[in-house]
Formats: sequence, structure tokens, C-alpha cells
Amino acid sequence: MFPQFGATAETLSKASTMVFRIGTDAHLYDDPDDVNIAPLLDSKYDSEKCEALKRLLALIAQGLDVSNFFPQVVKNVASQSLELKKLVYLYLLHYAEKHPNEALLSINCFQKDLGDPNALVRAWALRTMAGIRLHVIAPLVLVAVSKCARDPSVYVRKCAANALPKLHDLRQEEHNSTIEEIVGILLNDHSPAVVGAAAASFASVCPYNLSLIGRNYRKLCEILPDVEEWGQIVLIGILLRYAIARHGLVKESIMSSLKCSENFHAEKHVSDDNMGLGKESSDSWAYDSESVNMVFRCYIESPDEYLSRSSYANRASFELNGAQFTSGKTNDDVKILLYSTSPLLWSNNSAVVLAAAGVHCIMAPKEDVKRIIKPLLFILRSSNASKFVVLNNIQVFAKAMPSLFAPHHEDFFIYSSDSYQVKALKVEILSSIATDSSISSIFKEFQDYIRDPDRRFAAATVAAIGLCALRLPRMAHICVDGLLALTRQGLFLFSYFVLSVCLDRIKVPAARAMIIWMMGEYSSLGEIIPRMLTTVLKYLAWCFTLEALETKLQILNTVSKVLLGATGEHLSTYKKVFSYLVELAECDLNYNVRDRSRFLKKLLSYNFVSEGVEEITCCHVVVDCIFKKQTREVKAESINYRVYLPGSLSHIVLHAAPGYEPLPKPCSLLLDDFNKPEGTCAIVKGAGDHGTSSDPSDNESASDYDSQHSFTGSSSGAHADDNESSEGNENPDPLIQFSDIGNASEIQDGVFHSSPANLGEISNRALESWLEEQPGSSNPGILEQSQACKSLARISIGDVGRRIKRKSHSLLEAANGNGLKVDYSFSSEISTISHLLVCIEVFFKNCSSETITEITLVDEESNIASNDDVPTLVPMEKISSLEPGQTTRMILQVHFHHHLLPLKLALFHDGEKLPVKLWPDIGYFVKPLPMDVQAFADKESRLPGMFEYTRRCTFAGHIEERNKEFGDSLLNKDKYLAICESLAVKMLSNANISLVSVDMPVEAKLEDASGLRLRFSSEILSSSLPCLITITVEGKCSDPLNLSTKVNCEETVFALNLLNRIISFLVEPAY
Amino acid sequence: MLQCIFLLSDSGEVMLEKQLTGHRVDRSICDWFWDHVISQGDSFKSQPVIASPTHYLFQVVREGITFLACTQVEMPPLMGIEFLCRVSDVLSDYLGGLNEDVIKDNFVIVYELLDEMIDNGFPLTTEPNILREMIAPPNIVSKVLSVVTGNSSNVSDTLPGATGSCIPWRAADPKYANNEVYVDLVEEMDAVINRDGALVKCEVYGEVRVNSHLSGLPDLTLSFANPSILDDVRFHPCVRFRPWESHQILSFVPPDGEFKLMSYRVKKLKSTPIYVKPQLSSDAGKCRVNVLVGIRNDHGKTIDSITLQFQLPPCILSADLTSNTGTVNILGNKTCSWSIGRIPKDKTPSLSGTLVLESELERLHVFPTFRVGFKIMGVALSGLQIDKLDLKTAPSRLYKGFRALTRAGEFEVRS
Repeated sequence: MFPQFGATAETLSKASTMVFRIGTDAHLYDDPDDVNIAPLLDSKYDSEKCEALKRLLALIAQGLDVSNFFPQVVKNVASQSLELKKLVYLYLLHYAEKHPNEALLSINCFQKDLGDPNALVRAWALRTMAGIRLHVIAPLVLVAVSKCARDPSVYVRKCAANALPKLHDLRQEEHNSTIEEIVGILLNDHSPAVVGAAAASFASVCPYNLSLIGRNYRKLCEILPDVEEWGQIVLIGILLRYAIARHGLVKESIMSSLKCSENFHAEKHVSDDNMGLGKESSDSWAYDSESVNMVFRCYIESPDEYLSRSSYANRASFELNGAQFTSGKTNDDVKILLYSTSPLLWSNNSAVVLAAAGVHCIMAPKEDVKRIIKPLLFILRSSNASKFVVLNNIQVFAKAMPSLFAPHHEDFFIYSSDSYQVKALKVEILSSIATDSSISSIFKEFQDYIRDPDRRFAAATVAAIGLCALRLPRMAHICVDGLLALTRQGLFLFSYFVLSVCLDRIKVPAARAMIIWMMGEYSSLGEIIPRMLTTVLKYLAWCFTLEALETKLQILNTVSKVLLGATGEHLSTYKKVFSYLVELAECDLNYNVRDRSRFLKKLLSYNFVSEGVEEITCCHVVVDCIFKKQTREVKAESINYRVYLPGSLSHIVLHAAPGYEPLPKPCSLLLDDFNKPEGTCAIVKGAGDHGTSSDPSDNESASDYDSQHSFTGSSSGAHADDNESSEGNENPDPLIQFSDIGNASEIQDGVFHSSPANLGEISNRALESWLEEQPGSSNPGILEQSQACKSLARISIGDVGRRIKRKSHSLLEAANGNGLKVDYSFSSEISTISHLLVCIEVFFKNCSSETITEITLVDEESNIASNDDVPTLVPMEKISSLEPGQTTRMILQVHFHHHLLPLKLALFHDGEKLPVKLWPDIGYFVKPLPMDVQAFADKESRLPGMFEYTRRCTFAGHIEERNKEFGDSLLNKDKYLAICESLAVKMLSNANISLVSVDMPVEAKLEDASGLRLRFSSEILSSSLPCLITITVEGKCSDPLNLSTKVNCEETVFALNLLNRIISFLVEPAY
Repeated sequence: MLQCIFLLSDSGEVMLEKQLTGHRVDRSICDWFWDHVISQGDSFKSQPVIASPTHYLFQVVREGITFLACTQVEMPPLMGIEFLCRVSDVLSDYLGGLNEDVIKDNFVIVYELLDEMIDNGFPLTTEPNILREMIAPPNIVSKVLSVVTGNSSNVSDTLPGATGSCIPWRAADPKYANNEVYVDLVEEMDAVINRDGALVKCEVYGEVRVNSHLSGLPDLTLSFANPSILDDVRFHPCVRFRPWESHQILSFVPPDGEFKLMSYRVKKLKSTPIYVKPQLSSDAGKCRVNVLVGIRNDHGKTIDSITLQFQLPPCILSADLTSNTGTVNILGNKTCSWSIGRIPKDKTPSLSGTLVLESELERLHVFPTFRVGFKIMGVALSGLQIDKLDLKTAPSRLYKGFRALTRAGEFEVRS
């Protein structure tokens, strides 16, 4: 009875642990397949079935595929035992998608269970049925959900709400309005538990349909405190979006007060009268207005707008007019939202607290915002994992309104148990909230932190001290003195620096440059520093060559500043150091460093020669210039990255995660929307349409590129023929065409999408280069970037059409079919009957010596299942007779319903019946969708993230082809062309798609095919959704190539299957 | 919403996977995760949100078990993290602790629990009391039954009544012969003492834990004698917000059994119950250590299980540390742990000895930070006092009990 006991209990200690394991499922997990599972599943005892299912679960848990038991497991769905049911459901949900046909068998049971008097049974049945994810049963599930949405049991209604996103996930347009209607019903439910789940489904089903919220807004606000915690998180976000879309922003809030101070001067006076006491207190708080504006703007604008703005560097573009503001004092909807979210700041769930804090930060009048501070600080204590997330959010709040957090600086003191990320965040926050009164205690802490064994953290602390010194000029001497005091202690700090520069090249140069700058700036401060200076300068000169660019420039600045301010004894030493450094810098690799050194040398040489007044002032101008530049840069740094909504995932990962939506545009939801009949409400999205807002910049930059590329094109002297269509062209000569393949969207991909940071860097560099030119001077930088950026040439392949060979499969061999041989191949024809049908060419050949009569193919399963999801065959015309040696071609039309299992057919001839199998090819479940590159890129950009799948494989088709053609006269055929052609032929012969473009990089090296890109487009037959395929080549021309194949398609399951199919035929050798 | 949850053992083995939505997540993501853990070490392990090439990962590590959740779309990260924390709490509550074996042994229960707790990536039932009614925790009786009969179901046949009521945390109508309520104040003291020996920060994080065994639908009110000292509070969902807002009174219908009624924080305390005075000096390739521990001001209660832990610097060759009370252990990861227990009346516990540095080092620049642990029964150091606990519709006999306990939280002494 205890096989595990006897086998393993060798020692006493083992035996004692075994005692605890008795009665658990330990032996099932350890040896799940030590017995034959199949007979257990068919057993008549529930307990044995349970054990079998537990073994299967154990195998699933261990990552093994046990889907082959599916048919046997499904049978047990009808069991009365709830435990068994639960286990079956767990198994079923895991594998249903793999076995759609068998899963269908369980539907009847679910439907029966839905009528069960036990609410638990109903709920489970609904959850499982909706979770199976089969397109065919979607209508059934929809009916079930709408029935359960009116169920007397709260739990069942809750499960109904949860089932809606599952249904919506199948993306069947025709059900959307019904789904939204049910969401509306459930949002109106009187039970808070249901409302919470309904809010979650609203957020994933129809987040833009805010008018649905409008009808219940008051009620939702009132019920909010009673909703269960997880629902609260989502519901808070929805209510906030609604309030902004409906009423606009609150003009007393921090977010808008600074922004519109000029615009609403008149109105401000009125509200000031109302505020009375509040005004005095609020004025005493200093807000970092630039940061607030920045944060606020980021919350509202979508990523596209953000990109277009940063490309223009137009900081003041975001204007709001008066109508987009409302008053939090008079607007009841805003008041009730704040009133109902304020107790949630005491919630036990930190996510709820953060969500509520976000609402208050954005909507609350600024004298009330301080109530979010303590709860935010409190949730820092909840768990280590959430600490990091909360601090990330506090960081932005603290930068926007440092004064609110200033009294609580103690909360950001670090513990030794904090992780590095948490420590670094805390120190950064401390540096931004330090005030004149708190700096002394904060600085004392910093001094402790510098001795932290973690060098990265010590470096971060030094940077933070530098920031404090900049923020609080009055206190700067404390910081600098303190730092240098540390330095004196056996140069201990610098030894850290050298080590950390070696360790970490990204973070530290900034801190290093900062401290060097401080030395230069305060070189005459205090008593210790001047005495230290010679040593420090010598040290800097010694390590100059090893420094990063930023630090090098800073060292030059510092030394020249020191030299200018120097008098007396040390002057000659400084001069020596300076000339040594200039010599080094003039040989530097970086032109910026060389420029600066020459410039400084010229300027300062005057200073040495003559002691004239003008020169000295001139030098002081330079010093000013250096000084100002430095401070300006740091100011701009305060928040120089994109900020996302508080509490969002995007905020933590610092890029817009798929599905991230900024707040709606203020007042974009109009009252009229309420008057429309339900279900057809307009989807009011942000006023700025994505396309239009980013257009101008694209066009402009596109034209830049045009000129650029036409230049390259003409210089290489190739043909340029824009109207060359790529496929089916009769021109036998392939053309390599250099054209502006880097069209608007391509550029967008290359530069604007991926690298707003790059742009910033360039303009910074432009500033740094001192040649204080016009603001437009950043343009050359961009152009330069574009030169470096890949320019592409388009290749047209002419004669592919002819070389396409459809693969022929055998349906019936002559030996098995009494002399009848049947082959089939998938055809690219489009069925005339229905767009759902796939056309298959079938060739009947009589290999025997007698005439074969009455040949027909029928669907074997058609009479069994009446269900409409089974693959069906359009009845074929009968071939009355086939003479010996004769071949007949027929077109077979099949509706596969995306099934990839072989289709069982029956072939009748001469009255005999032969079973045959037809293997579907997913490559032909699509049809070509001709489009140009522009449209392709456009569609592709709309299918990012989860709609995109990539796989890699190797391809050797071009080598085989070359070997084959070796004897031919075509020896000198271009290798690129050979690759392109063989790839294209392979793709087009195996799938019903159209070739969009073939691009290759212009500066491609000989023999190196990397960068070659083929684009194909198609459309899924059944759903008419576009399906885009991109193949990118890497590797040498004469070796097997590495291909990375990418499929973008909204129907992800289909896309994955298609991708797998493509990979499999690309890898298989040519036939 | 969440797409998949993985449970990883500390060796990186995937013990369990639970797919939550139709968008299946391949377990190769765990390989990616573990590769990065190995190559980047602890700094990666302490990152709660990770952006992998294909998914966003949330990770929570509890007692060596890594809970990993994946998503591909925007969702509040705290929701994912908080949910994983709940899962780990519920599991350790069910299984009596968390470790690799106990999860493998009870994998069926883990699956069943996960299935109840989350539906389609959105949390469904997370209230521990309700879960207990839906899925029975393993206990001796059920284990024995399953051995004897070979069969026992831990899945409840009916829906707990509470899922439908407006107080979803309370099971419907329990009956008790003795009506009892116990209220515990459990406090943790966080303190930082800097290199100069000054108290930089001292605060208390406390919880009010209630264990209630009351029949019917009791309505309790709890009030404090000095609620004004509370800096901030957080409540169990059962607490009504408005009475607290207006009168600082906790009014609630308690869940059955044990639960955390509220947590609170008291800031800016002036003193700590014990003092720790480290003296370290380093020269000539050695470092002399001398640490004194003593009671600062007597609360009249004994201070129990005093411990002191610190990380030896990495550049130490050998350490020779002795103490006059308690035992000193140097653990494998160069952690030195000194357990004192109670402070004897006649002498002051002290730890002294020398650390020998690596040969090329002259002196030590970085001194360790000491982490202090202690426990005091019967006193709440924050000074919070419970005024009274009332039960509306009082049953004939109600037994009320109050206790308090303070222990060290993040108590650090830098040197």
C-alpha cells in the first residue's frame, strides 16, 4: 500500500519526514507515471479516477504534455463528484485549445450543469465553458453568460462578469455589442462583489465606452468602499477617467494650478477669494513647476503625441482652454469621487492605496493633497516587493511636489536590508526633497551611506550629495566640505571611484563629473579645499585618459576655472597641470574634447601674457558660461524621461506597455452621448487622433530623407523605377532599385519611435559643443544620425511567378486504390462560393488498364456531427468515368474552420469505398492581400507586442539551388538575388500570400546578406484579418542563413500556427 | 491581467505552472528568468518587476519559493505583487509553512486554491476564511482518512454562504458554546542608530490581531484610550470607515477566527528599550570588535530572545569572537549571529574579539551594521492602549482577552 514508504525510508530521519507526507499527494508528485493512468481513468470508482487525474495534474505541473489523455478525461466531466469535476476542469482548461473537437463533447455537460440547483456547480461550469476558448461555442457561451448575469447567486453573477473578457478575447465582432450590454447590466448590479468584477471586465472589454459609466457614476462612487479590494483598484481608475473625460481637470489641483496660472489670471482671483485661508498655506509650498507641468502633460498625452512633441522640441505646445477645467469646489461629481476614494487610503491592499492616491494627486485641490502622503509612506512597510514599486511612484510625486514630502524625510532613510534598487531610489528621493532645515540631518545620513560596502550605492550617494548642493546653493559648502573631508581620509573616496568606474561605466561618470565640477566651482571655498587642490588636480591629470567623455570635459573646465581663480604659490603647478592636460586633450579621440582644449588654450594664453582688464572679463564670461551650462543641464535632468500614470506597469518599466492608455482628453465626453441608445454609444477617445497628431513631423522628416536617399541612389548609378510591381512581373531582368524605402513609417521606426532619448542626447551634445549657434543647430545632428541609420534599397524580383511550384500531396496511391491515383495540391484560387472555403486542386489519374467509373469524394464525418464547426466539404461533382492513362483535374472546396487535423474523406469508385485523409495546410487558410510598403508598415505598427510572434530558423535553400545550377551558364548570378528569389519562391510556393517588398541594406558588404528583409502580406480567409509576415536574414551569402520570421496578426493562435508552419517549410530541403 | 503563475523552488526547478488565460505562457520564460538570476545575482532577484523580451514578470520570494507571474499587457504592478503575496500567505497558512517539499506534497490543493483565487487573470476569492470553506486545509484527520479509506475529498460541495452576502469575509452563522474575543497588539519597533550613537529614527509598526469566536452576526466596537498618537492606519475590509473618521472608533463585523483588524504606525518615539554600543577600531591588518548590550529603561517586563546579527566584511580572513553571555555563531555566508536571550541581572553582555584582515589590507574602512532582535511580552512600546471593546446585541456570556507583544523590526545599529 505504501510503495514510497518501503522504498525510501532507509534512515530514521527520512522515515520521520515520511510520516508527515503520509496522506498527502506526495507520492503522486514524485512518481506520477509509476502506474498506468489510462485504465484508472476508465475505472468505475471515483477515487481511482481522482487519483489518475491527480497524476495527470502532477505531470502538468512538471511541464510534461499529457494532452493525449484528453478524450478519456473529457468523458468524466459528467461525474457527480465535485472533487472529480474540479480536477477535470483544471485539466480541461489546460488543454482545451489543443483538442477543440474533443472539448466540444463536454459542452452538453456544461449546459446541463448550468441548470444545476447548486450555485457552485453553475459557477464552475460557466467558468470552464468560457475558458475553453473555442470560436464555435462562443454563441453558446454568450447565451450562458447573459443567463448567469441574472442568476440569483452573487457568486455566479460574479463569474459571469469574469467570463466576459474571455469571450471578448475571442475577438468576434458580432458579439461585442451584446457583451457591452451585459457589462452595463452587471455594473448596475446591487451587490458590490459583482460590481467589482464588472468593473474589471469593463476595463478589458470596452474601456472607451465611458458613457456606460456615466449612467451609473453616482452609484458606482457610493458603492466603491464596499467593493472587494481587487475590483476597487480597477474601478478607481475607471471613475477617474470618466470624471476627466466628462468634467475636465480640477483647476484647484496641483496639476493644473501652475499650468494655467497665466491663462486664468482673472478667474484665479475669483477662486482666491473663495480659498481664503487655503491660499496662504499653499503659497508657502514651493512646487517645481517645470516638473509638475511635465508630469501632468505626460499623464494626458498618448505616446504618439509625446513622440511628435519631442521631435519638435516644442515644449509649450500643450495648451488647454478654459472650458476644459472645472472646479473641485462646485462640481458634485468630482467631490463625490474624492469623498468616496479618501477612505480607501486606509485600505489594507497597497494597490488600492496607490490607486486612490493617484486620484487625489490628479484631482484633489492642492490643500488636500497632503492627505495622500502618510498612506503612501505607510505602504512602504508592507512588503519588500511592493516597496520598490511604491518608491518609484513616490519619486515622481516627490519631484513634482517636494515640499509635501520634505517633513517626512526620515521615512526614506535606508535600512541595510534594503535591496540596491530600493536604496538608490531612496537616496534620489532624499536629494530631491532636502530643504535648508533638513539638509544637515540628511547629510549626516549620506555620510553613513558613503561607507556602504555596495560601491554602486556609495556612488549613487555621492551623486545625490551633488544634487543637494545644486538644489540648495546656500548649503553647498556643507556638502562640499563634507565630501572633501571624506576625500582626505586616505583618499578613500577616490579609491572607490576608480573601482566603481571599472565596475560600472554607466552610472558613475555622472557622479564623477558632478564632484569634479563641484571642486572647480568651490575651489576657493573654506580652508581645506585650496590646500587639497594641487593633489586633486594632479590626481585628475593622472587619470584623465581613462575617463569617460563627460568627465574629461568636466576636468578641463575645472582645471581652467581653478587656474583663473588661482593666485600666489600654486599658480605654477596649476599651469603645469593645465598644459599637460591640454596636450593630452588635443590628442583625444573625441572632437568635443579636442575642440574644448584648443578653445581653452587660446583663451587662457591671453590671460597669461597680458594682464589687461578685457581679457580677464572675457575669461570670466567663459567661466560663467561653464557654470551656467552645468546648472542648466542638471535642472533639465529633474524629470527628463517619460512619466506614466501613477500605479501603472508602464511607470515601472519606463515604456508604454501594450494596453497602456493615458488619461482621456479633458471634456472629451459630451453630454450627447448619454442620449444615444445604449450599446451604440460613440467611443470617445482622446481628441488628438493618433495619425493626425504625429503626421506633420513625419512628413517633414520624410522629405529630409527623400533628398538624402535620392542622392545615394544617383551616385550608385542604379535604375530607379518606382512603379515596378514586385510580383508577377513579366520583365525577366531583376532590378535592384535604390529608392526611398526608408519612407515615413520606416523612419519612424528607426529614429523617432525607438529613441526619443537619442534626440535628447544629440541636442545636449550640440549644446556642449559650445558653438552657441541657432536653436536649429540640432538639425545637422539629426541628419548625421540619419546617415548612420540604415538606408535601404528595394529589390524587385521579376520572374518569381513562373518558378512557383505548388507542392503536391498524395491522397491515394495507385497501389491502394486499384489503379486510381489521386494527388492534391492547395491552390491559390479564391472560391467563388464563399470566402471561407479553401480551394484544393485534386488530380485523378487512372494508372490501371481498365476504365474507372463513378469516382467521387465525400466527407466521411458529415453525417455524424451536425455541429457547424467540423470541417465541411462542398459536394464534388462526380466523375462518371476515367479512361486508362487519363488524368482529370477537379477543384475541391473545403471549409476547414482552422482545424489542422487531417480531414477524413471517403473516396468512392466503382461502388467501392476507400477512406482517405486530407492534410490541411494552414498556409492556404489565407489569401493574398496586396498592399504597398507604406500600408504594410502602417498595419504592422498597429499589431505590436502580443500580436507579434517571432521565431528563428536556418535556411539553406539558396545553397541547394546554387549547387543545382552550378553547371548552368548563370554562374555569375548575383548572390543576393539568388537568396531573395529562393526565399520568395519557397514562401510563395507554400503559402497563399503576396510579396510586398524585398529590401536590402545599401551599405551591405559583399558576401554578407545580413539585413535583407522580405515582407509578405495576407488575409485570413475566415475573419478577413490581415496577417503580416516579415523575414529578416542574417549571415553570409554562401553559408546557411539565419532567418528570423515574424508574424503580426490579431488572431494570435492562428499566427502562431502559421509561424510554425512557415518555419517548418523553410527548414525542410527543397524538393 | 495575469496570464500565468509559476512556483519555482530555490534551485530553479519549476514546481507548478498554472495557466490563467488563453494566452499560454511557455515555461521557457522561467529558464530565461533563472539565467538572469544566475548571471546578475541578487540585484536581479530583488527586482519585483522585470521586463523580459516577451512578458512582464512579477516576482515575490518567500522562504526560498519564488512566485512568478507573467503578463503581457498593462496592469497595476502592485496588484500583481499584492496578489502573489496573498497567494503565498494563504499557502503557508494552509500548508503550515512554505518549502519545496510541502508544495510538492500538496500540489493538488495548491492547484485547487489557485483556481479559486484567480479567474481569467483577475483575483476571484482571496479571503482566507472563505477559501477554507471551499477547500478544506489538509489536517491529520483527513490524512488518516485518506490512508485508511483511500479517498477523501477536500473540495466543498456547496458554495459558502458568505460569497453572496454583503459581508463576504464572514462565514454564515457559526455557533459557539463559549463566545470569546481575543485582541492582541503586536508591535514591531524599527530604529536606526547612526555611527555617532544618535537615534536617527525610531518608530513602531503595529497590528491589532483579533481572534473571534462569536455566534451569529456580532457587531463589535473597539476604541483606544489614546488614538491621537497613531500616525497612520490601515484597515481590514470589515472596518467601517465613517466611525473612524469622525470618532476614531473601530466598528466592525469580524470574520470568524483569526484576522488582522488593523495595522498602524507610531512615529518619532524617543527611546529604545535596549542599547547596543559597538566599538570597532582597525589598524595593522586587524580589527578589534567590542559590543555592549544593555537595558536602557526598564518597562518592568523582561526582554526576551535578544539577538545580534551582523555581516562580516568580505575581506576578513578569520574571526575570533567571544562573549560573556549567550552563544556566538559564524554562519556560512559570513554572518555573525550572537544570541543572548535574557540579559542577566549581574553583568552586561559583551562581545569582543578580533577580525584578521586579508594580508594586503592595512585597515578596515567599512564597518558592519548590527541588526538587533528582541521580544517583550505584555507591553506595547508605542504606548497605544485599548480603551474598551463592546459587542452590540451581547450574548449571555462573552469572554474578552487582551494581550500585547513588541518585537524588534528593522532595528539597526551602524558602526
